Amino acid sequence: MSALLLVARREIRTQVRSKGFIVGLVITALLVGAAAFAPKIVGGPDSYKVGVVASQRLQMWGDTKVEWQDYADEDAARRAVLDGDVDAALVGGTKVLTDGEIDDQLGLLLQSAHREAQIGAAGVTVTPLDMQSVGADTRYQKTRTGIAVVLVIILFMLVIGTPMMVAMGVVEEKSSRIVEILLTSVRPAQLLGGKILGLGGVGLINLVVAIAAGLVGALASGLALDFPPGMAGIVAGVIVWFVLGYLFFAAFAAMLASLVSRQEEVGNVLSPMTMTMMATYGVAFYSVTDPTGTVATIASFVPPFSSMVMPVRAAAAEIPFWQVAASAVLMAAAVAAVALLAARIYERAVLRTGARVRLLDVVKGR
Amino acid sequence: MIGHMLETQELRKTFGTGKVALDRVSFAVRPGEMFGFVGANGAGKTTTMRIVMGVMQADSGEVRWKGAPLGFAERRRFGYMPEERGLYQKMRVAEQIEYFGRLHGLSPAAARKATGDLVERLGLTERTKDAVESLSLGNQQRVQLAVALVHDPDVLVLDEPFSGLDPLAVDALAEALRERARSGVPVIFSSHQLELVERLCDSVGIISAGRMVASGTVDELRAAEGRKLRVVVADPEPGWAQDLAGELTVEGGREVLVTRDDDDQRVLRAAMRAGRVEHFGVERPTLTEIFKEAVA
Repeated sequence: MSALLLVARREIRTQVRSKGFIVGLVITALLVGAAAFAPKIVGGPDSYKVGVVASQRLQMWGDTKVEWQDYADEDAARRAVLDGDVDAALVGGTKVLTDGEIDDQLGLLLQSAHREAQIGAAGVTVTPLDMQSVGADTRYQKTRTGIAVVLVIILFMLVIGTPMMVAMGVVEEKSSRIVEILLTSVRPAQLLGGKILGLGGVGLINLVVAIAAGLVGALASGLALDFPPGMAGIVAGVIVWFVLGYLFFAAFAAMLASLVSRQEEVGNVLSPMTMTMMATYGVAFYSVTDPTGTVATIASFVPPFSSMVMPVRAAAAEIPFWQVAASAVLMAAAVAAVALLAARIYERAVLRTGARVRLLDVVKGR
Repeated sequence: MIGHMLETQELRKTFGTGKVALDRVSFAVRPGEMFGFVGANGAGKTTTMRIVMGVMQADSGEVRWKGAPLGFAERRRFGYMPEERGLYQKMRVAEQIEYFGRLHGLSPAAARKATGDLVERLGLTERTKDAVESLSLGNQQRVQLAVALVHDPDVLVLDEPFSGLDPLAVDALAEALRERARSGVPVIFSSHQLELVERLCDSVGIISAGRMVASGTVDELRAAEGRKLRVVVADPEPGWAQDLAGELTVEGGREVLVTRDDDDQRVLRAAMRAGRVEHFGVERPTLTEIFKEAVA
């Protein structure tokens, strides 16, 4: 096994064995799974139960389902309403009992159904309006936005958290001076590459578990029925974008972390990376609200913003494939550039212990 | 095993601050030889060892192994213990030793076997599954040694391996190093414990302010020092040693003369005239004395 893979395997083992990893995995899975139920809770019911006393069941139009329940008399119906067994009760074809103000939508539905029943009884047939959209297919808009929001949050958590682990690992090896022993048998690029690869694998496990939890949650809550077509493509895209975004920020983080020798200095030295990431996150979140706007469109091609904005755009709206591919190629080029720079800086700085090394000195080779 | 020679040739290193760390440092360690590297703090021992191990680059000069410039692949077969010890604190003992064995190119089976042997010999059998951070400092030092030895290295380079060890651990480590040297491996270590270096090493290098001021076997260094005579005279006449060059001290009614005078018979006659001669002999300088002389 090559040194690179040996290093990667050690990173994965160390992380997977830690309690923090398991706890984090469970929490992520629960949160994402729960998020799949949120639209059902926030969005209100799409079916009603209505009690009936001495009257005909009304003919209802539209997507909303109404479940009818017969009661012997008005008293029984009144009790059922108060107990919450039914949302409303229709008595004698003329009166509706509710507990408090009637739900707006149910009120309108009952009124119009009642009106049609009466008109129908008078011998006039009413043809319902045929609704046609001449614009984009917006049936999935809400679900798409929801998926995009969840994706941004997952991507953000993993893309900031995993490079952070890379940075901590680099400094751990530097501060304990173990790097001095390692580098007598492993080349710097192998040590750094193995670390990034291994922790990336750990991040990928997190991502896959989060996605799986989301899909299971969506199936359980019925949200999956509202999934737009091409959901598999969206999921595959997220994985690709995670890998690209992670590699970019991990190399960036490792490069900066190799400049310091103490864990306390990590936060400070990483600030250029964290600021870039926050900006990326900000643009991505803004893009959720306006996925077809100019800002989102431009940002979805500019690395590293594209690593979070493009998956959001792809989830929130339909994007031509060539755009996604072009953006991915640009991002991959940026990853290669940062990785090369990081390897150079890391090699020169990681053995310089003591005071923080100035980036400029390293670049100039002093 | 047929051993090989490790050499450094004219190593030079200047730090960014302009401080000259090494100035043409050359020495050779023969197969099976224990080479003690001594010098004051900041004299250049660690810098030299780091250059030998490739974790620092010399400005000029080179490290040679088997008669050719030392490269990465050969250096991978070296064992190294840096001055500042480093281990993965949260990693288990046996796993850590095995990991380093693999990094040095051992197969999984060979790494496991070497780890098992070392753990047993170093008395860590009970602790193989414990995290390094839960071990005492002495035991951590043993793990550190195991990491340097796991791949049965061709050369051992140890920076202050004896510092912080209790006397029993010192003996155990000394024995482990001797054993490696006996199998034909050149062993270099630095130390401030000069008695220990004198006792263990076949040859010694003394470095001072970045220069190798003396190197060779302890006997060669003694010979280079020149012969010294030591004379102890009880109740001598005052001023008896006026004509003799050397250092005269008084120790409880006796006068002690240490001199480099080549005419030992003249010195003896003068002493006998002065009083009762209690001791007359050639002084064998200790390494400590040689060292003080060399760096003065």
